[in-house]
Amino acid sequence: MSQVEIPQRKLNDPIRSPKHVNFKPIREFYNNDYSNNYIHTNSYPQKHVTNIENTVEGYPKLQKLFQEKTKQNANYATKPYGCKVNIDEMVPTLNKWIQHDNITFDVVMIGCLTDNQFIYPLLTQLPLDKLISKPGFLFIWASVHKINELTRLLNNEIWAKKFRRSEELIFVPIDKNSPFYPGLDGDESAILEKMQWHCWMCITGTVRRSTDGHLIHCNVDTDLSIETDETQNGAVPSHLYKIAENFSTATRRLHIIPARTGFETPVRLRPGWVVMSPDVMMNNFTPKKYKNEISNIGYNVPLKNEIEVLRPKSPVSKT
Amino acid sequence: MLTFDTTVLKFLLDYNVQLVKLPLLGQLKDVFLIYSMEQNQNQDGLSYHEFLSIIKEINKLTDGAISLREPVLIQYHLEGESIDHIDTFALEILYNRIHVKEDITKPKLVEPMKRKKSILTDRLLNLLDGDIATTTTDNNNRLLFQAPLQKGLYQRLENLLKEDPISFQLNKERAIHCTTKAEYIPTCHDKDHSMLLSQLVYIVNNKIVSMQWSKLNKLNHNNPFGQCIQTHIHYVPNLKPQTDLSLGDCSYLDTCHKLNSCRYLHYLQYIPESLNETNSQQCEEYNHYEINHNMFYTHGLNCSYINKPILPPQWIRCDVRKFDFTILGKFSVVVADPAWNIHMNLPYGTCNDIELLELPLDDLQSEGILFLWVTGRAIELGKESLNKWGYEVINEVSWIKTNQLGRTIVTGRTGHWLNHSKEHLLVGMKGNPTWLNKHIDIDLIVSTTRETSRKPDELYGIIERLVGPHARKLEIFGRDHNIRPGWFTVGNQLRGSCIHEMDVKQRYEQWMGQQ
Repeated sequence: MSQVEIPQRKLNDPIRSPKHVNFKPIREFYNNDYSNNYIHTNSYPQKHVTNIENTVEGYPKLQKLFQEKTKQNANYATKPYGCKVNIDEMVPTLNKWIQHDNITFDVVMIGCLTDNQFIYPLLTQLPLDKLISKPGFLFIWASVHKINELTRLLNNEIWAKKFRRSEELIFVPIDKNSPFYPGLDGDESAILEKMQWHCWMCITGTVRRSTDGHLIHCNVDTDLSIETDETQNGAVPSHLYKIAENFSTATRRLHIIPARTGFETPVRLRPGWVVMSPDVMMNNFTPKKYKNEISNIGYNVPLKNEIEVLRPKSPVSKT
Repeated sequence: MLTFDTTVLKFLLDYNVQLVKLPLLGQLKDVFLIYSMEQNQNQDGLSYHEFLSIIKEINKLTDGAISLREPVLIQYHLEGESIDHIDTFALEILYNRIHVKEDITKPKLVEPMKRKKSILTDRLLNLLDGDIATTTTDNNNRLLFQAPLQKGLYQRLENLLKEDPISFQLNKERAIHCTTKAEYIPTCHDKDHSMLLSQLVYIVNNKIVSMQWSKLNKLNHNNPFGQCIQTHIHYVPNLKPQTDLSLGDCSYLDTCHKLNSCRYLHYLQYIPESLNETNSQQCEEYNHYEINHNMFYTHGLNCSYINKPILPPQWIRCDVRKFDFTILGKFSVVVADPAWNIHMNLPYGTCNDIELLELPLDDLQSEGILFLWVTGRAIELGKESLNKWGYEVINEVSWIKTNQLGRTIVTGRTGHWLNHSKEHLLVGMKGNPTWLNKHIDIDLIVSTTRETSRKPDELYGIIERLVGPHARKLEIFGRDHNIRPGWFTVGNQLRGSCIHEMDVKQRYEQWMGQQ
């Protein structure tokens, strides 16, 4: 630990005793009310979270874990693929991949942080259980309102049996000027201003967190992401990809955006992902090329000792 | 020899790429249409025939700068003559030759550069509006509100959609003037400051008991560190013999039970008494002089808002499952924090949850808002319950849980698959209450965790702004720390009962007599 020097007053500096400053500490723990503060200063409560830029600040082991995970994921990522198709062409295209090209994915993310998404028709028309292998992971991102509407579909018995709802994630924009500010869309009945996006995380097939360390790494990320300084404008912030990458070790990842995102919201590519959208920046996906690359990389990011030592694990029961 | 209007030449230069690409594909008829829309302030516009002859003239002068395609038959439809390619270089030379003669000082080709930079929607709207919009940019504001131009309309529509309704603005404005300001002290994020402080404090029994006054007083008053101490909250490392700084911070921080043996780093909050005093004094003054309770805008509030006192806290100790809720009457707002008891491996709740579902909460409100705290799998059950009780889920509030240092909780295994840094509060609405003061607060609460399952007090403030201080408010499953002026609390962990509303008291005593 480096010693920090106390700034010394110059000798010829006249002593000015402060006007009775009482440096005695107060006794009780003091808490700010950020909701009240928001009313008076218009400073959003989420801005006062102190670990936004580095969520694992103060935890060197976790910092190391995140670095190692990022490195390992990058080493076993396919090149970024984009598949530019119109919304009504998505289901036929995916069906072709499933039936003709025999492609499945382990991680499928649907949706982005905009309104006007056609998630419901996609979910009802798509043979999702054939597109996602078992075990597989499904992330559906949409507005709070949309997720709430989808609850009805996702709670029906046939669905709930195939895809077990596991976590509800949220993404929080930092303020009103954020490109991810949800705005007033679909907000007629809301009594509180909306400042978040929700994600429905489902698991299909069986994974056990205690024994399936080669498939999933639990408790690495949290169910909350807050926009950082570095968050780029786009259809989805990189946080959302990261959570999925850190959780599942699978290398076959697909992101479907059933929405027109417009010129102001670019749909970026990401290594390790196939991004399907009518507005994606590149259109370089061919099933053959992809299958080739995957067969070289393997279906899962291999275990690495450094990560195994650092990642949170379920306590081993003594038998 | 120059017998033609140079506007055609200029037009071809400005739009050269767009004309050849989709959707025009250089179709001369369509190109002419665009041209005449561009030039429509000239009443004596060219005819298509004249337009064609000018293009031929240009071609003659530039030795074929505009290469034309012969009419072709596409899908039984004869397409007219079209432009295949425009040699802008040759056109530019021609244009400059003409304009040098006309006006030497005229800047060359500034216009097209500007065009390329402007936003697509802008360009399209300008096209729709013709040249009126582009020529009178100085009077943009006037145009925005007077002329029935597409652009003006579009922007007005955009503004309208982005703008909060006036009722929201009024609600917000009133909240600023009526909400008692709570004390607020910013937090210092400078690591050096906390390290400096750690050498100045005397810590006894994990509490800061005093400071080394001598060293502190030596600090110049204008020293940024000295200034910071007097204005900010600091977290001082609690360095102990066993502390191993390489391990980082303790996950439990101030709630750690092994403070005297834990090797991780802990912190102590430091706020000088003087700061606390001045802060609360300022806050008090502000509330006294700036906060105005004599508001005449009372929409959504009790009409005698100004002089009606707020009822003191009321509570009833009871087993919520067996309680007759009709005793309590109707409420504007209900808050419930049930102890959900859900087994992770069952798709549906356990016995307790069924009991919760069967609570007769339908009786408590004819119209109003119900706030329901839910965790994990109870989110679904909670939504179902709300629907069953006649509510529509209209908001979901997230409580971002923070620790002593204001960080979100990222360590430990706080969730099954992912760690949990937040909790959910479902907001259900019944009927169509017009008396709500909507959109004052946002759907997030950032607040420190306290005792197990104790929820943040910020919610009370949010609700009191939503329905006003006089509306009847009920909390179910409340504990002693939940009782509060203006609120009615019921729960089995409360101490005794206290009722001020006479009708409720009567009904309660009657019911008790029957038990």
